[in-house]
Amino acid sequence: MSLKDLISPFYVWQRAFQKPYTQKRPIEERPGAPRYRGFHINLTEECVGCGSCEAICQNHAIDMVKVEGLEPRNGDSGLRPKFDYGRCCWCALCVDICTARSLRLSNHYAWVTEDPDAFHFIAGTDAMPWNQNSLGYRRDDDYHLLTHDRIEMDALSPEESLKGFDEVMKGYTEEQALLEADRCVECGICVATCPAHMSVPDYIKAVRNKDWEGGLKLLYETNPFSTTCGRICTHRCETDCVLGLQGTPIAIRWLKRAIADRVPAERYAEILNDTFTENGKKVAIVGAGPGGMSAAYYLRKQGYGVTVFEAQAHGGGMLRYGVPSYRLPENQLDKDIDYIRSLGVDVRFNTRVGQDVPFSELMDNHDAIFIATGLSSPMKLRIDGEEHPRVVSGLKILDDVAKGQDPGVGKRVAVIGGGNVAMDAARVSRRVGADVTVLYRRRIEDMPADPEEIHESKAEGCHLVPQAIPVKIKDADDPNQVVIVWGEAEMVSDAKGGRPRPVLQEDRMHEETYDTIVSAIGQGGDYDFMGECLGSIEQKWGKFIPGAYQQTGVSKIFVGGDIANSTADAISAVEDGHHAARGIHRFLSEEGLQ
Amino acid sequence: MNTVEEILDFAIEREQQAADFYTDLAQKVNKPWLKEMLEGFSREEMRHKGKLKSVKKGEKLLSAEQKIQNLKVSDYLVAVEPTENLDFQDALIVAMQREKAAYRLYTDLANNIDDPEMKELFLGLAQEEAKHKLYFEVQYDDQILKHN
Repeated sequence: MSLKDLISPFYVWQRAFQKPYTQKRPIEERPGAPRYRGFHINLTEECVGCGSCEAICQNHAIDMVKVEGLEPRNGDSGLRPKFDYGRCCWCALCVDICTARSLRLSNHYAWVTEDPDAFHFIAGTDAMPWNQNSLGYRRDDDYHLLTHDRIEMDALSPEESLKGFDEVMKGYTEEQALLEADRCVECGICVATCPAHMSVPDYIKAVRNKDWEGGLKLLYETNPFSTTCGRICTHRCETDCVLGLQGTPIAIRWLKRAIADRVPAERYAEILNDTFTENGKKVAIVGAGPGGMSAAYYLRKQGYGVTVFEAQAHGGGMLRYGVPSYRLPENQLDKDIDYIRSLGVDVRFNTRVGQDVPFSELMDNHDAIFIATGLSSPMKLRIDGEEHPRVVSGLKILDDVAKGQDPGVGKRVAVIGGGNVAMDAARVSRRVGADVTVLYRRRIEDMPADPEEIHESKAEGCHLVPQAIPVKIKDADDPNQVVIVWGEAEMVSDAKGGRPRPVLQEDRMHEETYDTIVSAIGQGGDYDFMGECLGSIEQKWGKFIPGAYQQTGVSKIFVGGDIANSTADAISAVEDGHHAARGIHRFLSEEGLQ
Repeated sequence: MNTVEEILDFAIEREQQAADFYTDLAQKVNKPWLKEMLEGFSREEMRHKGKLKSVKKGEKLLSAEQKIQNLKVSDYLVAVEPTENLDFQDALIVAMQREKAAYRLYTDLANNIDDPEMKELFLGLAQEEAKHKLYFEVQYDDQILKHN
């Protein structure tokens, strides 16, 4: 061995006194490319917590979690995506699917820490250094993983629909239903919004699978008026559908109809297989509308003997006498009602409680009572001349038509109001050949009628005059006519932030002559039949204020439907009926309800 | 009525009369829940009375310049007689029309007086009544005219 070989290892030591060749952070803040797929950013205010990002993530790198201070509300689950960067591969599918377009990637990609648990974070909520980063990957405007446009339903043209009372909307073909169902991301945000909390994603999945029978069973878990609601539901679920954030919401209502329309009535019993054992207890229901009949259905399924007292000759309440057949054909309403009756629910038609049978008899002979009589007394305008014989209520017109009678409105009609009854009274008047003007105090966007109703009334030639306040009604020269005096309104903002309010402008008044004036400004309830019980039941503004499970201050009386909720629509009535049925069952069983 | 004190006593007495009016009406009506609503109106009038008593002790009234929104709802409604068969629509009309009459009374008194201090006081009271009328008009707009 040479001397050099012996000494050479010691040469290495000289390096100890030199600058190191290695670098602690070899890349010093080198920026990512402008569209680099770096770390996630979520715009928390825009995100609605639909969880599509979680569902699409192939690596299970996303969990939807509760965020402190963010409460769930209609249209927002209150959850936000939490990322696990031990799993994420930054493929950006989560960004591409994001229904609210709130999720994006920054071009930030360096995150150095010795703590392996640190790589979990709630995007947009946790304070991360890249939260304000304006660069990084965004979904292109013309790139969509979701189908944003709704599959439209075929309908009669306005000209055709005006010829009679045939149903305007024709229903989805199977192909259309499947395509529409395919748009759903199954987030379930609609379930919370639906008053009846129907299993929307599940029944839409049943449509996708062409499992009409399974779909029907799902519908009946929460709604025995699915054929009806598939046509005329106020579909608040669609208002909160996340597909509506970037495009048009899923046609949830039409998909419900698609299921119900594909199962013939004769097969309902076999599919739904509603079997029960009589429990010997009796419940009286006042009113065979959607609230009363839903309660009847769910109570009967528990084995209760159910008697429904109905003042009219047929069931359905406002669905029959307030919704014209071009929106809800009678045979479709009958399909729902007949199935409920087929379970042995005894409906006594033409029996008005308080007149044909005393309320005390119901109280004495039944273990519990559910009252869902609806709002059937038209509100008065309380303006001069209202008692003129050519002034009729919207409900009267609709009732006449439902009973096959000519409403006799003449050729020129003014309808006062902006709700569904007003729109239907207008459309019915068009169908019997009248020119129709609708006078509404507020703006078109304030109208409580369904947007489709407003759209279709316009399409059918109804002339909508917003910001028009009726002031007086007086005789016309022709005794078969009537004059309305109305004034234009200016909208003023509400001091408490509510909707703007109309104020009459006396210098802009109009006088017009019509054959008929239809007053349709809302309805009230009539509860006199309940006699002394009324004193123990809380009410406000003409409606009942029930407690838990729709129970009232008189423990065996439960109330629901339009007389006890603020929404006054069929789906809320259905839910009230279902809820009351649960309450009555608890009240009359060992589970107990005071 | 020549002094501020006398005017305020008059206004306080009127609020008491209004409260009594609603209490009496509540005894007459045959709908229990309407009874409760009218008793609520009565309590509202007693609150107004309390406010005026505070004014007497030095608290400020609404400024006459402070414009209270007039929704004019009651302007085109028919007069309603308070009877036992009253419903809540009529009860609100009665209340609106009473407040409107009070507003007019104070406005007329203000217009017929030269003393600037008194005029200011009457206009302030008129504004208070306008505020009460607005309260009932908003209720009417929200509850009765919900669909119109």
